[in-house]
Amino acid sequence: MGAMFREVYFIYRRNLRTWLGVPANVISPLFISALLFVLFGAMFDRTISLGGFGTDDYQAFLVAWVIVQVVVFSGTDSGFSLLMDIMSGYFDKLLLAPINRFSIFFGSLMVSGTRALLQALVVVFLALALGVDFQTGVLGILAMLALAVIFGLVWSCLGIMIALKTRNAQATQTAGLLFFPFIFLTTAFMPEDQLSGWFKVAVKINPVTYVMEAMRAMVLDGWDWPIILTGAWVAGLMLAVLLTATTWMYRRQTA
Amino acid sequence: MSQDNIIEVQDLVKVYQGEVKALSGINFTVGRSEFFGFLGPNGAGKSTTIKILSTLLKKTTGKVGVAGFDVDHQPKEIRKAIGFAMQEVGLDDLSSGMDFLVMQGLLYNLGRKEARVRADELLELVGLTDVAKRKVGTYSGGMRRRIDLAGALVHRPEILFLDEPTTGLDPQSRLATWDHLNELHSQGTTILLTTQMMEEADHLCQRLAIIDNGLIVAEGTPESLKDEMGDDVVRISVASISESGSQELYDKALSLVGTQSYVTGSSLEGGELVVNVRDGDASAPRLLKLMIEHDIEIARLAVSRPTLDDVFLQHTGRTIRPDNGEGDEYGQAIRPLLGLRRRG
Repeated sequence: MGAMFREVYFIYRRNLRTWLGVPANVISPLFISALLFVLFGAMFDRTISLGGFGTDDYQAFLVAWVIVQVVVFSGTDSGFSLLMDIMSGYFDKLLLAPINRFSIFFGSLMVSGTRALLQALVVVFLALALGVDFQTGVLGILAMLALAVIFGLVWSCLGIMIALKTRNAQATQTAGLLFFPFIFLTTAFMPEDQLSGWFKVAVKINPVTYVMEAMRAMVLDGWDWPIILTGAWVAGLMLAVLLTATTWMYRRQTA
Repeated sequence: MSQDNIIEVQDLVKVYQGEVKALSGINFTVGRSEFFGFLGPNGAGKSTTIKILSTLLKKTTGKVGVAGFDVDHQPKEIRKAIGFAMQEVGLDDLSSGMDFLVMQGLLYNLGRKEARVRADELLELVGLTDVAKRKVGTYSGGMRRRIDLAGALVHRPEILFLDEPTTGLDPQSRLATWDHLNELHSQGTTILLTTQMMEEADHLCQRLAIIDNGLIVAEGTPESLKDEMGDDVVRISVASISESGSQELYDKALSLVGTQSYVTGSSLEGGELVVNVRDGDASAPRLLKLMIEHDIEIARLAVSRPTLDDVFLQHTGRTIRPDNGEGDEYGQAIRPLLGLRRRG
């Protein structure tokens, strides 16, 4: 077991270095979060007067969605990173070494978690810079980051499964398109009270809504436990299911 | 498993998904400290075999033992005993040569300090100390093979697998790689390499298996394989002033060589006297002397031996045409995107 920790750590360090080694990997999420904040903030600024937002700062309302958005898309990065190693043959090199093959998997997943954490952190700093007031304070921010990491891992599992299944870089990158509906069929820009018809039904079915609402509650309302725990429960359940499925798939493909 | 054989393969069959039969039952052994070669064209089954032996690929049926361990039950023991350089595949383009080797060391259970010392040694060995800090993705083809080789050597493996170690390299880099391999072999490393190049197989390998369509079609030392192909050939042109005079001389020469015990056959072909002999190098001077004694002046004499090309042609009905390693689609598509330009 000690040996495995050691292996996971080396692989984690190498994968992290590989990711950080390409500046675009770090800069583009930063740029996108800033852009989304500024653009959507300005675009929907006056909708706040419709009421039901629980705040009069539209940017504060947006924070949860921007975080969810960056961590969901970080899932495609995880799939793509793995695929790059498979395509370059480096993955085979790791399989050739006398290490546990799950060390490779866990090392990669830890990088996914780190990636989600860093990207969510960037959004938090941006929000603070824009003057958003976090109702739950530092503890709330930490809780939000934890939830972001869990949720990032959920989508990383999906990204990894798509990469393992398709073995195709283009497919893996465009798989991000499949993630779009999940991000937009939510209370992204409007509170639930302002939604209607099929859209409202879809939003209520979409699990992403509950995770986002939990984060939003921590920004806008304070420790609203029923909402927060529902979000945590949904994210945890999704992670348990997807982690099992991904591990199973990984075991089959590397056996 | 016998004590002298470090690799033993029995009735190895590999059928890929979709019923593609890559190996149709091959048998071979490699002795301890032997330099063994797999010669064959693309798609013959060379890479499949080497991947099964190195535990990267599961076999369909058969028995495979490597370094005294069974490939099904002791893959981890095998992994510790082998190194595998995979045609510059599997390099970590975004890390420096140094970091790549240190990581290899850590993966093979060296301590951090040990890994660093070993990386320095290996960089020195393959002559890459000067570029140790540069990203591997910027290395030239020859440098990539060398760093790949170095990476396969971190744990001083008993057995080294090499998949087409010099395909696509310029002649100078090829010779340098050959020198490294000969050096490793002289230190007692067992080497199994695959190649599409006759010259490489001939130059390096003590024993060869020619593989085609998933079957071993011939096996032996390069010499014995060539000997099986039959006799050496001596070609003689006579010097003469006139056309008719030359014909006369050729007829005379032909009847002369027919009387010699070491000549196994002779004919006139394309204005030349073609003499088949057992040992070309020893027979040529005797033929020369014979002609001079009978006042036949020789303009030109050439000795040729069967080549591995002839051996390959004989066993497969085809000549082998190596590709030049331009199939690196991943590298060509991805490396520029990562800002890695290859330079020498």
